[in-house]
Amino acid sequence: MILRTERLTRVSTIAWGRLTSQREFAPVMAIVILWTIFEIFSDVGFFTSSGLMSSVAALTSSLGMVAIGVTMLMISGEFDLSVSATFAFAPAIMGRLMSASINDGWDWPILPALLVALALVALVGLLNGLITTYTGVPSFIVTLGMLFFVTTLNRIVLDGLPVDLVRETGNLKKILGADVPGTPLAAPFVWMVGVGVTLAFVLRRTQFGNWTYSAGNFGGGVARAMGVPVRRVKCTNFVLTAFLAGLGGILQFADFGSSSQASGIDLNLLAIVATVVGGTSLFGTRGTIIGSMLGAIILGSVKVGLIIILIPSEWYLGLVGALLVVSAILNARVETIRRGGQRSSILG
Amino acid sequence: MSETSGVPVLELENLSRRYGKTLAVEGFSLAIEPGEVIGLVGDNGAGKSTLIKMISGYVSPSSGIIKVMGQLTKFKSPKDARAAGIETVYQDLAIVDDIALWRNFFLGQELYRKVLGVRLLDVKKMAQICGEHLDEIGLTSVASPHQTATTLSGGERQSLAISRAVYFESRILLLDEPVAALSVRETRRVFDAIETAKSKGLGVLYIDHNMEHVLPVADRIAIMHKGGLLRVVTRGELSAEELADAVAHSGLSDDEE
Repeated sequence: MILRTERLTRVSTIAWGRLTSQREFAPVMAIVILWTIFEIFSDVGFFTSSGLMSSVAALTSSLGMVAIGVTMLMISGEFDLSVSATFAFAPAIMGRLMSASINDGWDWPILPALLVALALVALVGLLNGLITTYTGVPSFIVTLGMLFFVTTLNRIVLDGLPVDLVRETGNLKKILGADVPGTPLAAPFVWMVGVGVTLAFVLRRTQFGNWTYSAGNFGGGVARAMGVPVRRVKCTNFVLTAFLAGLGGILQFADFGSSSQASGIDLNLLAIVATVVGGTSLFGTRGTIIGSMLGAIILGSVKVGLIIILIPSEWYLGLVGALLVVSAILNARVETIRRGGQRSSILG
Repeated sequence: MSETSGVPVLELENLSRRYGKTLAVEGFSLAIEPGEVIGLVGDNGAGKSTLIKMISGYVSPSSGIIKVMGQLTKFKSPKDARAAGIETVYQDLAIVDDIALWRNFFLGQELYRKVLGVRLLDVKKMAQICGEHLDEIGLTSVASPHQTATTLSGGERQSLAISRAVYFESRILLLDEPVAALSVRETRRVFDAIETAKSKGLGVLYIDHNMEHVLPVADRIAIMHKGGLLRVVTRGELSAEELADAVAHSGLSDDEE
């Protein structure tokens, strides 16, 4: 009897160790704890309130979509600080092409406007990638420059005025931004989850995924020696990141019905926070897309939850900062455990 | 590999590389037979690294030719060199940390299975083959090919990288100071891996500035000096001290570099 208890304890210790060494463990726990606290201290409930969950989902889908790309790019060893500008750039282009009212509007249908906007943000990503990989200037600097440059483009394109999708009634707008019937979710959240799960699979089960992991190590030195086209892999991830940021902006545009040059303004740094909170390393190779989506849910929950438990909203950014630092400390601890010979289930 | 025996696996003819006004390698010629280990030694600045970079496809020669299995080759990238059968194992760059061992073993040469027309990694098969090789080189501390590479010691990494070259039927193995900073036991492990590669018919070019390192495994030792080949000695022709003298002596006139 005693022996059995001992064995049970040992087995559960091993199981616990394995569970806690998962990168997604901490963010899942954080969500459980936060949601419980908000539920208890709120007068209207939290996760039991579909109105609040709808707000969390809306915040999460924009941030999450940006964070998914940023995570892929960080795993491949690079950063993109220009995503917040790219996020506003895509709907700005799309809106201006479609508008007939503002100044010299073009009055395009939605589909070609969407495609041109996405092509242009992909081009921004390609430029980021080519400049970074061919000049050797750190992506941190290259994309910071791009942040300012695209911000200026946004101002020129929008000329200080917002764009809107009010007149648009087609199916494409519904696919991009309508509410999902019977749920508190809008379409952008479903897009975000769909894209995230797909890319998480791509990362773990395709050659491109394997190459992305390897490109993040030692500046891609080993990968290059093994014949991996590191430059191409990184450029592809730059394009993907800009594309997803632009898509995120367009989805929000379709959901909210309008967009301005201030759209997505903090998303570049918040995406990095969501990524780190989700368990991804700033030094490449180690990371998880599912974790970043959870990180985005955490940030969205904190923003809505603070308001609901009547804590002044100024505390939001302070709390995000604390969350970032605590997560980074936790990540380092998880890494120590993993390096102690634990079976790698994230990359396995 | 036996059908091509008699042809050197690697021939370097009059290889030169110029960086601006500096000649890093000048008129270097050498041939490696199948199953032969050549130790390439020389002081810092003798041109060893530039030579490796040319053979492994990182830089192209300014002049001269490289032949693999008697075929004239021109590499645009390390990928080309690898495709031609040249596997390079660098001291610090043999293995990617933080990814599973099977991912490392098959990096750049992944195995696939098609699922609904999509090429997906054949994880099961890669893990199985990688596991067999871990057993073969005696990495008993490794429990599973799903483990990350951070759990391996320096010597284990080098051995794994060498056994990877054997698995992919490379013709030529370039080793860049594989046992620098390794313990005696770890060094022996790497030498065993080199012997295995040799017995499978690979030509090995083992680069090290330390004579002591190459002496136990090299069939011939090529001494490089100021970008050129000073002399080639066969195993047993000179003692360790005489060899060391030869290298040291060659270094005396290096000061203008």
